[in-house]
Formats: sequence, C-alpha cells, structure tokens
Amino acid sequence: MELTDDLKQIDELLIKQLNQIANNKVGYWDIRTEVNDGTSLEFTNQKSKEISSFEIINCGIRAFKNGGWGFSVLKDLKKESIKVGLQKAIKLARLSESLTKIKFNIVQNKPLIKNYKSSRKKNLADIDIDDKINLVKNHEKIASNYSPYIKNTHTIYMDGYSQNMFLNSFGSKIVQDLSFLRLFCMVYSNKNGVTQSSVNSVAGIGGYEIVETEKAAKLSKKTAKEAVELLNAKSPVGGKLTVIADSKLTGTIIHEAFGHACEADLVLNNESILEGMIGKKVASEDVSIIDNPSMGQGKQFGIPYELFGSYFVDDEGIPSQKTIIIENGILKNYLHNLETSSRMNVPPNGHGRASVSSERPQVRMGFTYLEPKDWSLEDIIEDTKEGILCKDFQYGYTAPTTGNFQFKCRFSYKIKDGEKKEIMRDVSLSGMILETLNKISAIGNKNTFNYSVGICGKGGQHVRVCDGAPYIRIDDVTIGGLN
Amino acid sequence: METSDIYSLSELCLKLVQNENSGIQCADIYFEKNNYINVEIEENSIKNNETGEDNGISIRVIDRNGSLGFAYSNKMDRSTIKKLCKVAIKMMKVATPDPDFKNLPVSFKNYPAVKGLFDRNLKYLEIEDSLNYVNQLINVCKDDEMAISQSGNFESNYSKTYIFNSNGLNVSKKETSCLIASNIIVKDKISKETSSGYERQIERSLSNLNAINVANLALEDAKRNLNRKKVRNMKVPIILTPKGTINLILKPIAASINAETFQYKRSFLVDKRGEFIGSEFLNIEDNGLIDGAAGSQVFDDEGVPCKNKKIIERGKFLKTGLLHNSYTAGKEGVESTGNATRNSYISIPSIGITNFIMKPGDIMVEDIIKDIPKGIIFNTTGDSPNISTGDFSGLILHGNLIINGEIKESLNETMIGINLKDLFQKIDAVSNEFKIYGAFQAPWVRIKSANIIGGVN
Repeated sequence: MELTDDLKQIDELLIKQLNQIANNKVGYWDIRTEVNDGTSLEFTNQKSKEISSFEIINCGIRAFKNGGWGFSVLKDLKKESIKVGLQKAIKLARLSESLTKIKFNIVQNKPLIKNYKSSRKKNLADIDIDDKINLVKNHEKIASNYSPYIKNTHTIYMDGYSQNMFLNSFGSKIVQDLSFLRLFCMVYSNKNGVTQSSVNSVAGIGGYEIVETEKAAKLSKKTAKEAVELLNAKSPVGGKLTVIADSKLTGTIIHEAFGHACEADLVLNNESILEGMIGKKVASEDVSIIDNPSMGQGKQFGIPYELFGSYFVDDEGIPSQKTIIIENGILKNYLHNLETSSRMNVPPNGHGRASVSSERPQVRMGFTYLEPKDWSLEDIIEDTKEGILCKDFQYGYTAPTTGNFQFKCRFSYKIKDGEKKEIMRDVSLSGMILETLNKISAIGNKNTFNYSVGICGKGGQHVRVCDGAPYIRIDDVTIGGLN
Repeated sequence: METSDIYSLSELCLKLVQNENSGIQCADIYFEKNNYINVEIEENSIKNNETGEDNGISIRVIDRNGSLGFAYSNKMDRSTIKKLCKVAIKMMKVATPDPDFKNLPVSFKNYPAVKGLFDRNLKYLEIEDSLNYVNQLINVCKDDEMAISQSGNFESNYSKTYIFNSNGLNVSKKETSCLIASNIIVKDKISKETSSGYERQIERSLSNLNAINVANLALEDAKRNLNRKKVRNMKVPIILTPKGTINLILKPIAASINAETFQYKRSFLVDKRGEFIGSEFLNIEDNGLIDGAAGSQVFDDEGVPCKNKKIIERGKFLKTGLLHNSYTAGKEGVESTGNATRNSYISIPSIGITNFIMKPGDIMVEDIIKDIPKGIIFNTTGDSPNISTGDFSGLILHGNLIINGEIKESLNETMIGINLKDLFQKIDAVSNEFKIYGAFQAPWVRIKSANIIGGVN
C-alpha cells in the first residue's frame, strides 16, 4: 500500500526511538495518526450553499501508567513533534497515576502488524467534481419538482478518504486506508400553514458506487414523497398503546436505549442499568442482540459496498468481531475497549473507537442489531386489534441510570382490527428499557429485517454506526401527543 | 506559529486568489489557533490529563455572480496554502450563482470595548494548577453518603483568531475560556434507586470558576430526581427552572429568529414580526457586549462588530428582531447584526447567538410556586421543539410534582405536550432570580397550564 507523504514520516527508526523514549516509564502507550481529505457539497433549493474541500492531519498520543492516562494532541506529523508529544503524554500519565485512586494495568495483547484497505469500485478521486455536482443538482431537482407543496430542499454530498496509522507499545503497527461517502436529503413541505419534513440518507464505506445504487437513486423522491404525505397526517392521541415498530425505529431503540447501557465504561462508572446483570435474564426469550462491526456484511443487504458502521480494526488495534450481547433474553457480554476489558478480566472485543485521532477512544458500538424471528409483517398487523405502526425515527435518547427512554418516530399509521389505516404524524414513544424488552410480543422474520445508518454522539465524539432489526411489536407503550 | 507568519500567509492567500483572474468579487481568510488543557474524572477519580493544540485556516472565495467556494486545512506550510487557494477557486467555479449575495463586510472604523474576555492566568495555566478544581469536585462527591460516582472535567482554552478579507478588513483577537462540569450518580440506600444530576459552569476568567458549587448543584439535582413516580394524565401549571427555560423558550427562539431559518421559511415565527407572540412577561435580547460573559465577543466570525439587540419586548416580536450574518443581511437589505458564527475554521459562517437573555421579572422563585395546588416542575428534557411548527412533545427527564406549593416526588415516564405559541402566551410569572449557563441567561418561568401525559393508565 502506498503511504501518503505525511505518514511516511513514521518509519522504523522513529518507532525505535519512540520505544527508547518510553523505555518502561509507562505501562502502555499508543500513537494514532491520520491524514484525511474530502469534499462536501451542500445545496438548498437547487442552489449551492457550500462547496468545499479539505485536507486535515491529526495525531493523538496516549500513555498509561497504573490507572492514569496522559494524552497529548499534535497538529503536525514531524518526527520531532511526535517524540516531544510522547514525552508529554508520558509526563501527563505519570501525573494522572499519582492522583488516581483506581489502579489497574492494561492487559497485553498479541501485536498486530497489518495493512488494510477498504474495497472501492470507483475511486472517489477519479470522479470529476462536475459529476458530483450534477448528482446533487439532480436530486435537488427531483425533490423540488415532486409536488407544488415542496417548499424547501436540502441535499448534502460528503465524501472522504482517510489513511491512518496505529502504533502501540505491544509492537502493533496497523495502517487502514478507508474511503467513505454519505448522501443526505432533507425536504420540507407546506400546505395551508402546516409544515412537514422528511430526511433520508445513504452512506457506506466504499467508492462512488455508493451513490449509483438503486436505493441512492431513489433517495430524493422517497424523501419528497414522505414530506408531502405527512401534510395530510393528523396528530395522534397520547396514551398507552400497542406499538408496531419498523426496522429503522427498532434498530434505533436497540442502539440508544439498550446498546449504550452495554458499554462497559458506563457500567464501571455506575451509569448503566445493566451493572451486575451478566448471566441474568433482561429480555423476553425471543430476544437476541448482537454487535458485529466486521467488514463484509454489505452483501446480505444487497449493497455493493461495506456498512457505514464497519471497520477492520478498532482505534486500539483490536480487530472488529461479532459480540453476542443478549442471547435468548440472557445478557452475555458488555462491549469493551482495552481499559474496560483489562479491568473486568475479559478479552477485548474491538469496541474502542475515537471520532478522530485527536480524541481518546471510548467504548462504542459498530453495527448493533436484533436478530429476526418468524413473524411476517402481515401477521403482526393482522394479530393487532388496536395500536399504532411507527416508522422511521427523528431522534431518541435515554437516561442511562434509569433506562427511561424517549423516541420520536417520523410518521405512523393507525392499526384497527388487524388493518393498517390512515397515516398520522410523528409520535413520541417512551418507556423503561428493561420493562420494554420484556413487552416485545412479536419479532419479525428475515424479510422484515433491514439496517440503517447513523452518526452516534457520545462525550462530544461522533462515530459512524449502523443498526439493524426486523419489525417488532411492543405492548403497552406510552405515546405522547399534543391531544 | 508566529503572528508574523500568519500575516504573511494570509497576504499570500489574498494575493493568490485575487491574482487568479477568475472573476473573484471578494474573499476572506479565517485563521484560528487554540491551546487547551483537559482533566477528566471518571468513577470519582482523576483518569486522564490532556494537553493539545489545534490550528487551521480556511479560505472563502466568491465570484461576481455570488458563486462561493471554500477550502480548509490544518497544514500550515506555504505549499498547502497555495494548493488550498487553487482548490477554493475550483470549488467556486462549480458552485451555482447566487444573486442574493451582496458583499463580504467592509472594514469597520470602530469596535466596541468589551472587557474580561481574556485572562492571562488561563493563557499561562499549567495542568498541575488546574487539579485543585478537579479535586474539589471529587471531594464533594466523596463526602456525600448517597453519592456513588462522578464523571466530570475541567477544561481551559486559549485561542487567537485572525480574519482578513479583500475589502480591507483585518482584525484579530485573543480570548480565553474555562469550564467545569460534574455528573454525579446517587443511590438511595434503602430503595436502591439510582439517579444522576448534571451541572456545569463556563467562564472567561479562572477566578470565577466555583467547582464546589458546581458539584453541589449536580448533587442536589441528582437527589431531587430520586423517589420517582409515574403520574396520571393531567392539565396543570408548569414551572420551568432556568434549564427548562433554556430548553423550551431560549433555544427554540434562538433557532427561530436565525435569519437563515427565517428566510428559508423553516421557522414557526415567519410572518409574525411586529406581532405579539407571547405574554407581557416574554422579554428577550441578544447581547454580545456584556463584560466577561461567555457569549460576548468584540466581533463576530466575519469580523463584524457585535452589539446588543432587543428581540422580543413585552411579548412583541420586534421587526428588527432577527440575527444576521453578512449574507442574510445583504439578502434582506439590512446591516449584519454581528451574529456570524463558525464552528471553527472548518465551517463557513452560519448564524448564532452571543449572550441570549430572557429578562428576569420581579418576584421570588418561592412566590411563583407557592400558590400552585397541583403542578409540575420542568427541569430537563432531551427533546427539542419542532422549529417549523412550534410543536413540542417531550419526555421530562428531570422534573418534580408540586403539591400545595411544595416540591414533591420526581417524575418517571412523564411527557409534556404543548405548542410554543401557546406556551409563550401562557407565561404568567417570571422570577427575579436567574442563572447563567454559558451563553444563556434564564429565570424561572411559570406556564399557566400544559398537558401532561403520565405513565399510569
């Protein structure tokens, strides 16, 4: 693999010198460097708003001693700066060590020396900027012309190329070469003073082929159609209801309300409702939840590129892998980074991720999903006397210490006597996650299973994620509404 | 990077983009340099000490048709800068024309004097000197019987900003800020119920930070959220705490009077200028000139002087009550209000607040609660109102029941639903006390009534 000039600075001699600098002064150190460049094209109402290009380098150097971390962030990759940066990080780690009351060591892992490159059928750099512009213009045009009720369109195309290098005191040296792309479409509609909106996006790891799929081609039309349909939707009445949730909404609930509680850093900080629950029943026995950020999963969804939340190796040098979180209702594993796995005496499972090299890795999800079962969507609806079918989501959040969650879907349909009725507006769903996981009364089959892409925020850092789920039915959910 | 280097690089940039003979109307260069310290605590113990630097440059170029190109980098060598100029022009050439673009700001003769935005103690702060603040957080948690854990941090930042444009604008400033944040977890020994509370303080000067106070407030917040109960549906008066006021009044208004949102007709306040949109208790201003305040600035991120602007007076949304950058101002034919905001060098200027203030009233907090037979205190939610419709339907994350004028149990699984136009009209009391959270200043506010959806059938 051809390294960029900036990363070529980090040669064997420098690595040798870094080892000499650290020379047993600390228990662990790692260095992450990256070079990113990319393009962002943002259009509103068929006019360009921001057409930009960037080139950014980042470097974060971490050192650890007996429970204390030091972190030093640089903005250049000169050999001398990196050496000074490591010295600073060591000094800071020793300072932390002298103050921390929680003592532990980072358990040594087998060093990994490997280069990875994500596949791309059409190199982003080979695509002319005019073609990218035309793509966005075309989506804007489709959305704007969809209906006279469309008042506002917004399309963002973002692509990026990142080459990063990871070194640590165990002797790992990993280079990852990734290319990714995201196309985002938002449409506002207005009729008789009522404004509605819808949002959709397509994203993945790969090349320009990501925007040439059928799904991407339909993005703006789908979004415009939803925004217009919502104009005739009425506000639902709040109260306790049976909810059928589509795969997008279910996936988000699994990620937000449950997945975060499985992050071992929150467990150690007494901020998770799942503390002390390993081996215990936390959900009805049909429920199995997995996190698997490994590469190679695009095929099962019929896409010619990698899932947006996938990675080869996490930001602490641990390869991505399948982790079973819940198996048949029983909590099996938390998600770990190097620190939490060392402290909880389990092997790391590749969930130490940072948004950029200048941030510290936290415990993060990758591709989190609920395993499908055997209900068809028709059967779930037919079996529901009265309820609400909620689709898509706008946002959601959870109070970690209580498990009280709140989600807002984008639109919904009334279900009456086993039939899907008229469209309704967004509703909020609220509940206590551990109660809710026990109230799942139907889980859809493989045909109802799908994935969605997102950007997940935690502690000010944003990382690429995916979640997946079939349709499910939950009994007795609190639904908010203005009426 | 030396100041002289910044001037010579910027000069080079402006020369390059203007020499391109590409029909450039104007251009600006934004340069930013930051140094920071961050000390983090987890599990009520110091976990991480961090120091870092960040700097970068961005170039915005606009041609005579209003087409805009933008490029940025944090590599500060001459060859990268030359490349960046070329790329910005390339971007401009593929952008669409925009007849609404008028001009970038011209240079200003006078800038306001705002004191207390820079503290030498923060510029020269060593990480060892910041540990005292973090230890104060730790001790508050350690000394409390119910507190079982805390995460939190101390952060300080020293930044220098330079803005140059082809209209002769050439300004620079240095600023400091510091922050202390505490998230405390408490556990009721008998019921085993746990809960968390959060508090933070942002200041321009180190001496104003009060870590003990921040931790104590987080602790109180956490304890107030124990003893949770589900309630039935009801329609009752609501008291917004300052955090609640920020969530339901200040943030949604700030988003709705942003001229860009307004011009795209994405705001529920479109067509409401000059009208009464709230009760007489609703008084809002955006003031960038308060000495030492977190949101104060001498000039905005396009180099335009900041000012104090009245937005809503006694419920009336003023005709001049929008926040502008140079683009939206040019489009409307008015002067920029000095509200151009960039996330950092990586973004073109959007629009943001300076210090966004709801004016306090004249009665005590106790007095606005004491006459309520049954009501709700609303402190925090993770939801935000829909800006285009004004609808709000959200979960009360931290809130309590009020029974006969007294604050009682905290709420579980309780939601509130109201349209903001309705909420603004129903404000019937505002406290004389207020709190400052970063750029927001907010009092306690009473809403005559709102729908509560409870978790009990």
